[in-house]
Parts: sequence; C-alpha cells; structure tokens
Amino acid sequence: MTRRSFITRGLFGGLLLAGAGGLGLGLWPTRAGWQPRGALKVLNQRQFAVLAAVAARTVRAPGADPQAIAERVDATLAFTTDEARSDFGQLLMLFENALAGLVLDGRPRPFTRLQPEEQDAVLDAWRESRLVLRRSGYQALRKLTLAAHYSSPDTWPSVGYGGPPQISGVPT
Amino acid sequence: MKLEPGFKDAGTLADGAEVDADVCIVGSGAGGSPVAAALQAKGLSVIVLEEGGHHTKPEFRMREDQAYPMLYQQAGQRATKDLGISILQGRAVGGSTVVNWTTSFRTPEKVLEHWRAVHGVSGLTKAALDPHWDAVEQRLSIHQAAPEDVNRNNGTLQDGCKALGYAVERTFRNVKGCMKSGYCGMGCPIDAKQSMLVTYLPDAVARGATVLARCRVDRLVSAAGKIERAECSVIGGDGYAPAGARLTVRAKHFILSAGAINSPAILIRSGLGGGMVGRRTFLHPVVGTAAKWREPIEAYYGAPQSVASHAFADRGAEPGFFLEAAPIHPMLAALSISGYGDGHRRAMADLPNISAHLALVIDGFHPSEQGGTVEVAKSGAPLLGYDLPPRIWSALKEGLRTLIRIDLAAGAEWVASGHDPPLQFASERELGRLDEAPFASGKIAVFSAHVMGGCKVGDDPAQSVVRSSDLRHHTVENLHVCDGSIFPTSLGVNPQESIYGIAHLMGERLAAAWT
Repeated sequence: MTRRSFITRGLFGGLLLAGAGGLGLGLWPTRAGWQPRGALKVLNQRQFAVLAAVAARTVRAPGADPQAIAERVDATLAFTTDEARSDFGQLLMLFENALAGLVLDGRPRPFTRLQPEEQDAVLDAWRESRLVLRRSGYQALRKLTLAAHYSSPDTWPSVGYGGPPQISGVPT
Repeated sequence: MKLEPGFKDAGTLADGAEVDADVCIVGSGAGGSPVAAALQAKGLSVIVLEEGGHHTKPEFRMREDQAYPMLYQQAGQRATKDLGISILQGRAVGGSTVVNWTTSFRTPEKVLEHWRAVHGVSGLTKAALDPHWDAVEQRLSIHQAAPEDVNRNNGTLQDGCKALGYAVERTFRNVKGCMKSGYCGMGCPIDAKQSMLVTYLPDAVARGATVLARCRVDRLVSAAGKIERAECSVIGGDGYAPAGARLTVRAKHFILSAGAINSPAILIRSGLGGGMVGRRTFLHPVVGTAAKWREPIEAYYGAPQSVASHAFADRGAEPGFFLEAAPIHPMLAALSISGYGDGHRRAMADLPNISAHLALVIDGFHPSEQGGTVEVAKSGAPLLGYDLPPRIWSALKEGLRTLIRIDLAAGAEWVASGHDPPLQFASERELGRLDEAPFASGKIAVFSAHVMGGCKVGDDPAQSVVRSSDLRHHTVENLHVCDGSIFPTSLGVNPQESIYGIAHLMGERLAAAWT
C-alpha cells in the first residue's frame, strides 16, 4: 500500500465518500468557526477550520490559541512530503465528514458542529478504534497540534521550563 | 567547471550549471564526511552534496520551534508510512551528527561476528576497525562522561539499575569543552559537540573539498555500467521546496552517504533498485516511560545522555534491548506524554519533575526479523514501511516493564507508559496490567532515532547491495555506499561511531586505490 492510499483505501473511503454525496450527510458544511489570518501554505479554509476545532480540544492549556496552532501546523506541513500533505488533508475531511461519523461512530453531524464533549468522544473513538489507520489519524492530529503549541516559547512558563541558559556570546 | 573549495550554497550557482570533481559524495553526515576528508587528503578533488542547509552555531538558538524545521527531516515529522513509528533524523550540512545526542560506542564485536557468520561480510573485523576507531575517537574527542556529567534524568536511570543490580555504565561522548547545557538535539550553540560540521567536513574543506548545501540528488545517471552524473535540484529559501534550478555533477567516482532511508531511495530513483535495495531497514524501535519524581529532574538541562544499560542486550533467543535517557524540552515532552486535553495539560504542568527513559529494541538478529522496506512515492520522496513482528512487540513490552521497575526502584512517584491513554504504575504490584495492555501500531508511542540498513553489505550479490572490501556496488563499478545503510542488522548500540569507524576505514582504502 502506498502512502497516498493511507486514508482513501485504508478507511474504505472511496465507497464512503462516493456515497456521501448521494445521502447529503457528507456535504453538511463545516462550521466556519476558525479562519486563518494570512495565506495558507498547504491546507484549504475548510481543512483549517476542522484542524483548529480539533486543536481546541487536544490543547487545553493556558493561553492555547487554536487559530495560531492551526497556522503553525499548516507551516509545518509545508516541510513534509506531497503524499503526507495530501493524506493529512484527506484525514481532516474524513474526520469532519458526517456520513463517515454516522457509519463509524453513530454521530450524524460534522465534527465542527458537535458540542465539546461530543468532539472528545469522536477523538476517543478514533483513538480506541480497531482500525490502525484511524488510530494513526488520531495520533497525527494529536501530535501535530500539541507540538505546534508547545514548540512556542510562549508556553514555557506554563510548564515550568525556564528556557535555554544564558551562554556568553550566544544570542537568545 | 570545478568549484572553489569551501562551504557553498547551490542557490548561488547558475541554473543548469555543470560541476566536475574526481569524487562526488552524496550526503554530508557520519558516513560521507570522514571519507571526504580522507580522499581530499590524498589529492583527489571531492564535492559533497547535501540536501539540507549549512547552519552554524549563531543559528543554534536552543529553541525547538527553530531547530526542528531547520535541522530535521520533514521538520521532525518523518514517520513510517502507517505513522506507527516516528523517526527523528537530521537534515543539514553535517547530517544527523549536528543533532545527535553524542552517545558514542564502537560496534560490539559479536555484531561484527554475526555479520561475518550469517551475512557473508568479510574483513569488517574488530582488528581491522580498531585503528580507525582509535583515530576517530581522537579526532572527535570521544571520552567517557564523568560522574558529575550525569544529570538527574540519567541519574535516576542509573540509580534504578543499581538498585535492581543491573549493569549500567557511563557513556562515551564526542564533545570538547561541553557546558552540558542540554541542547545537543538542536545544534550545539558553542561548537563543543564534535559533529561533522566542525571536524571532518572543515578538514576536507581545508584540503580543498567543496561542500554544496541545498542540493538534492534526484537521480544518478548510468552509461555503460558506470555512473556518469548526478542530476540535482536546487532547494529554495525555505529549505524544503525545490527552487526550480537544476545542477549536474560529473565525477569519476560516486559515493552514496545519504543515510539509511535516503541512500536506498536514491538508488531506486536511479533505476538501481531491486534485490536487497531498500530491504532490511532496522530502527532500534523505542518505547519510553515518563516518570514523576518528588524532586525536580529538569530532564531538559545537562548532558542529554550520560549512562546506558546493556544488561538486557542479550536475552538469548529473544530480541535484546538497551536502556538510555532522553532530553525532553517542552515540544518533545508534549509528544512523549500521551493523551490530549486536560489530562495532557496536567502532565505537562509537572514537566520539571518528569524523567524520560527509553528502551531500544535490537532488531534484525532473528530470521523472522526482516525489518522495514524503503520505497519511493510518486513525488520521489522515500517511504519507509515497517510492520513490527510479534517478537519485537514482545521485546518492547519487556523493555517497558524493565524501565517501569527501574523507575519505581529509584523512587519515582508514578511511571507512565506511552500507551494512549497512558497507563500509570505506582508500584510493582500493578505491573501485571501490562499483560492486558495493547502492544500494536497506534496503541503505544514507538519512535526511533537510529535508522540502519537498506543497502546491506556482503559478498553474495544476491543477498547484498555492496561488497565487503570497499563497499562498492556489486554491479556498478564506480558507485559506493558508505553510511548506516550498509549494516546487515541493527547494532545494539547508538550507531554514530560505527558509521564513523567504517567510513574512516573505507576512506583510507579508497584513497589508496584511487591515487
């Protein structure tokens, strides 16, 4: 299996996404809650909104800013392969998709239109899934959003990290 | 044209430039750099091509948000294709040696003996390599960490091993004037780490070599059984995307030293795949513990690694494992601590009191352990697939069990596994829960910073890619491979010094043959 088919084939997505249009559920629009402040490098606006909604649940830390996290993830994705970018975009769409949610987890609404507790239940369902590809998808969302948050020096005080030492001659 | 000696950026050359040298080395890490220095010393003209940028100490600001995009493959996001194993691998002039945590071991003699007996490798013996390790250890100031170099993160691992009677030793490190600040993984801000960036590469350049940064080799082009040229893309200002400009390098000899993922990928892109190319990739798959202590640990300060235990490296018929510590600055900690949301936040708030210890499984020594496979995606990017066999999963479980026992014996309040959600253990009595815990891809965090194999060395062309005597490709007469990809198995120790030693030996042999 190639990397490209990670999401599409692994999650019987071809069939699922084809059927989605017919049923209408798959076309239920994403709630446009989060908007990027500047031009995106990799994601589209809809994917950005889903990612920020995910970040709002995964990163429950002081000062966490889902918009900034999603922007940083978008910047990081620019440093990955074409295949990884494409997979991640598809992952976000599948995560959001209402029909996929109905079939996989019995929730017939897009992720962005769920209450926070319901969103956590979706994350848990992906985390606990018997399908390795859903578990990996959850891990990708979790790691990218948490890394984007905690890579910022703004977070250092919240975790008691004093930052790099002063070394004579080394700028900080 | 011949380029002037020095560190150059491919972006400064005209589009379509054609460059000539006696020897073209692809990759500037642990494999390519000692060879470059040895060949240039004998008067051969050497050009080293490096996909990453040339970054030096003023840019090493000890910040994860800057270091990972600048110095790591895919900004630290490299992983196996099912995302089951995260892979930390460097990408810069100097390769992974720029971000290496400095732990230096010679290849264990019994590993060399296994290669001889099982994989048909001749001549890579302790006796042949010892003088080269001596030379490398001198050049790179490799010496044993002192007791006062052991920070609390390593000290707790050491204490726990001692409490349980497990052998544990202080490691050897390639540093000179080290301040033990803790930022090896982000590029040494004071050039104390004796990476290729400050040793063999400047040696090669001082003798007349050219190191060309931001130059990605797309393919090697053959004519009449020999490599004629390397066709390259110039990488743009962001350090990742091709800028559009092209470059051709012609040479009498080509040496692939692009690392265990990229070297086989270049062979495949060049139409030289098949056989054992991209097969038997080994990772020392790692699981870790995050343990909470009453007193501050500050795992992010101090020499990142100063102790190791090989008490379980030989477990008879089962895969062995070895134990080390990991420096966890906030971002790496956020990835090491599993879960999300409020639970993750609470664990992160304890960061100063958290230790991080690793169990690295020694893969590739049993016939059922065939490792991973490197392929090339449509875009040309390498893809590593590695489905861990049950034997490796069970060794990861035993490694984790051992680490938990060690952490508890040293006095940890609790120890968490990398399961998601995490399993927490506050006493030995709870260890039975590990037997019900899932060990499967995506159920527990597995990672690697040791990528080995994929261009196996050996004397049987059907079972290997390069021959033993000089790491020459079995059928292409002017193509050699010299990096961690030639290993027939993993090593059971951190790989950097094994690569240096073999590269130093091969540099001497090739220089003698070519001059």
